[in-house]
Amino acid sequence: MRKVGIVGAGITDCRGRWVEATYWDLFQQATRRACEDAKMSTSEIDSVVYGIYNDIFEHQAIPESTLTGLIGMANKPGTRVTSGGATGFYAMRTAFMEVASGTSDVVLCVGGEKATDCFDPRSKTATPMVIDTIAKSWDPFFEYPLGATASDSYMQICMAYNDNHPGDIGDPEVRAKIVEILCHAGNRNPFAQRRDETVTAEQVMSSRWIIAPFLRLLEVCMYTEGAGAIIFASEKKAKEISERTGQPIIWVKGVGAANESYSPGRGGNYKRLHNIDSDRIAAERAYKNAGITAKDVQIVELHDAFVAQLMVTMGELGFVPLGKTRNLIDEGIMVDPKTLKDNQAPPKGKLLVNPSGGLIFGGHFVGGSNMFSTWSCRREMINRKVPLGMIHGTGAINAVFGGAMILELDGGAS
Amino acid sequence: MTVKKGQPALPVDFNLPRQVTELKGRDDETYLQFTTHMVTFYEQTYGEHSRFFMALRDAKLIGSKCDKCGNVMVPAATWHCPNCNFAEMHEVELPHHGVLAQTAPITIFPSASFIGDAPFARGYVDVATDAPVASFLMARLRTTTGLERPGIFVKGTKLKLVFEDEREGSIRDMFFVPMSELPEKLQKKQPLFASELDFASPAPPAVKSDAAKAKLKDAAVASMKRLAADVEKSRRAQADLSNRTYVLGIKTGGGDFTLRVANARLAVEDGLPAKADFTLVADDPRVFSDWVNDGSLTDAAVEGSLWLPSKEAFQVLPALDRLPRSTRRDLKDKK
Repeated sequence: MRKVGIVGAGITDCRGRWVEATYWDLFQQATRRACEDAKMSTSEIDSVVYGIYNDIFEHQAIPESTLTGLIGMANKPGTRVTSGGATGFYAMRTAFMEVASGTSDVVLCVGGEKATDCFDPRSKTATPMVIDTIAKSWDPFFEYPLGATASDSYMQICMAYNDNHPGDIGDPEVRAKIVEILCHAGNRNPFAQRRDETVTAEQVMSSRWIIAPFLRLLEVCMYTEGAGAIIFASEKKAKEISERTGQPIIWVKGVGAANESYSPGRGGNYKRLHNIDSDRIAAERAYKNAGITAKDVQIVELHDAFVAQLMVTMGELGFVPLGKTRNLIDEGIMVDPKTLKDNQAPPKGKLLVNPSGGLIFGGHFVGGSNMFSTWSCRREMINRKVPLGMIHGTGAINAVFGGAMILELDGGAS
Repeated sequence: MTVKKGQPALPVDFNLPRQVTELKGRDDETYLQFTTHMVTFYEQTYGEHSRFFMALRDAKLIGSKCDKCGNVMVPAATWHCPNCNFAEMHEVELPHHGVLAQTAPITIFPSASFIGDAPFARGYVDVATDAPVASFLMARLRTTTGLERPGIFVKGTKLKLVFEDEREGSIRDMFFVPMSELPEKLQKKQPLFASELDFASPAPPAVKSDAAKAKLKDAAVASMKRLAADVEKSRRAQADLSNRTYVLGIKTGGGDFTLRVANARLAVEDGLPAKADFTLVADDPRVFSDWVNDGSLTDAAVEGSLWLPSKEAFQVLPALDRLPRSTRRDLKDKK
C-alpha cells in the first residue's frame, strides 16, 4: 500500500437552506475551493469519489451524473458512495484506497446534501418531511411502519447505554456544558451554520423536549445544506503539491471501519443496544493501522448527532472510560477552544473535540459532513502544530455504521 | 396519521398546489422555487417475510430457529442462519410475552407520515428468552393508563403481546402492554385482543391535596387569568385559538379549575366543569404557572408531570403553548 496524503480541502458556507444555489453549485463551490487550496486545476485530478447520502433529498436518482461535467470530472472515473451518516467517511475511505492501491495519483472526494427543500404540506414546514425522508432509512416491513425517526434510532442506543451506566450521559448538566463548549467552537468557524449564536448551559436545560427524558432541542444536530471537498494524493504527488502551496501534508496514517447488524438482539452477531460497537471496532482498527493509541490523539472531529451520543462515542473511541464519559467535563478533558490561542495545541492529556462546532453548531450536510470534519481537523492540526488527529463517522439506523481515520501532520509537532 | 385500511395510501391532503414562487436570497437578489414531489407507489412484496405476517393475521407469533446454534430470529427476518453458513432455519412459535430490552424512547415530533399519532412509544422486546442467541422484536408499546410517558417502558419491564382485533398482515397488527396493567386471567390468555383491554377510559392518577399546593393553585389561576386577559388584546393569540372549541377540566393537588377555549378566547374558571372534553391531572399546580411563564404544557405532558387521558387531549396543547409567546409579542409591539 502506498502512503496517502491530504493536500487540499474546501467547504461551502453551511446554511439551513441555500436558495441561491442547488446542489450542483454547492458541489462546484467546494471543488473550486479545494483546488484553489491545493493550487491545482481539475486537469491534475485522476478520478472522483462522490459522497451523497440520499437520492430523495437531491430529488434525483444518480445525482452525481449531473455533477460530473460541472465539477471538471468529465471523462474521468467516478464512484458514488452512500452509507447513511457515514457516507462522507466511506467516500474518503474509498478515495484513500484508490490512491493507496496505485490506481490513481490524485483523487477528489466531494460530498454534500441539499436537504431542506423537502416540505411537509400539512404542517407547512420542512422539518417533518426531512425527518420522513431520513426515516426511509428504516426497512419498509418492520420498522418504518412503527413511525421510528432518526432521533429515536440514536436515542434508543443512548437510553440503553444509560440503563447500563446510570449517572453518566443521563446528567443533563454535563451534556449542557458540552453544548456550551461546542457553541464556542462554532463561534470560531467562519463557515459554521450557527457561528453567531450564543447558547448557555441553562438555555440547553430549559429547551423543549424532543425525546423525554433524554434529548432537548439544543442537544440535537442541524440539517445543513452545503458541500465539502478533500483532495487525496500519492506520496510523490503530495510532496510536489505541498511544495507548491507551502502547506504541510496531512498524511492518512490509519483507517478503520465496521458495520454492525441491522437487527438488535442478544448474543451472536446481533447489534448490542447499549453500545456503539461499530465505533469501538472502527477506532481499534484505525489505531492499530496507524500504530498509535487514543492517548496520542489531541484533536478529534467526531460525528455528534446528539450530545449524549457524542459522549458514548468518545467512550467507544477510547478517550474516556465507558460509564465515565462525563470525565470529558468533570476532569476537563474536553478543552474549551476559547481558552486556547488559535495556534496553541491543547495541553497534554486534554483534547480538542469538534473545534469546527461539530454537527450541532458547525454543519451537517450528511453526504459531506465527514469532509467538513476533515477540513476542520486539518486546519486545526496545521495551525496548532498538532501531530495526530482523528476523524469519526457514524451512520444508519441505530448508529450501526462506524468509521475512523487517523491523520498525521507531516514533520510532526516540530 | 397512520392511514387506515382501504383509504388512499397517500392521504389526499398530503399535497401541494403546483406553483413557482419567488424568494429572497442572502444577497438580497430574487430566486425561484417550484413545488414538486417524489412519490412512488409500491405493491411491496413480503416475500420470505410473508409467513411471519400470515402468522400475525392468525394471532400467532413465529420466529425462525437454527438447529445448529439455537439462534432465534423474531421477526423471522431470514430462514437461513447467518451465523452457521446459512444453515436452514425452521419455524418456531413464540410466547406472547417478553421483556423490554432497553428503556424506550417516546416520539413527540414524528415524521410527516405519523403526525397526529404522537406521542407514541416503540421498542425492542426480548421474546425468545429461552434461546441462547436471539433477535429482539420491534413493536409498538401501549399503556392503558393514559399517554405513553417516561417511567412506564423501562428496561426489564415485563410485557404482554396484544393483537388488534382486525389484522391485515402488518407489524401494526400487534403491540405490547405492561403485564402489570393486566388482571391475572388476561395475563395468561393467548391470544389476547385489544378489545379485551380498556384504552378509552384510563383511571386518572390520584392527587395529594395540601394547603401549600392550594396557594400555588391560586397563583397559577391568577396568572392564567392575566394570560386570558392578554389574549383579549392579542391578535396572534386569537389566531392560535381560532376554530378551536373545548372545555378542559383540570385537577391539581391544590384544587380544581376549568380552561375554556371558544370564540378565539381563553377563559379560566374555578372548579370542574359539568361536562369536560378532557380532564387533565397535575399534582403540582406549578405546571400551569410555568406554562404562562413561557414554559410548555406539552413538555409537562411529555415528562409526565401533566397527565392526559388520550392523544386527542395531547393535540390541544400546542395551541395553548403558543399563547404566552403570542401575547407577549403583540403586547410588546403595542408598547
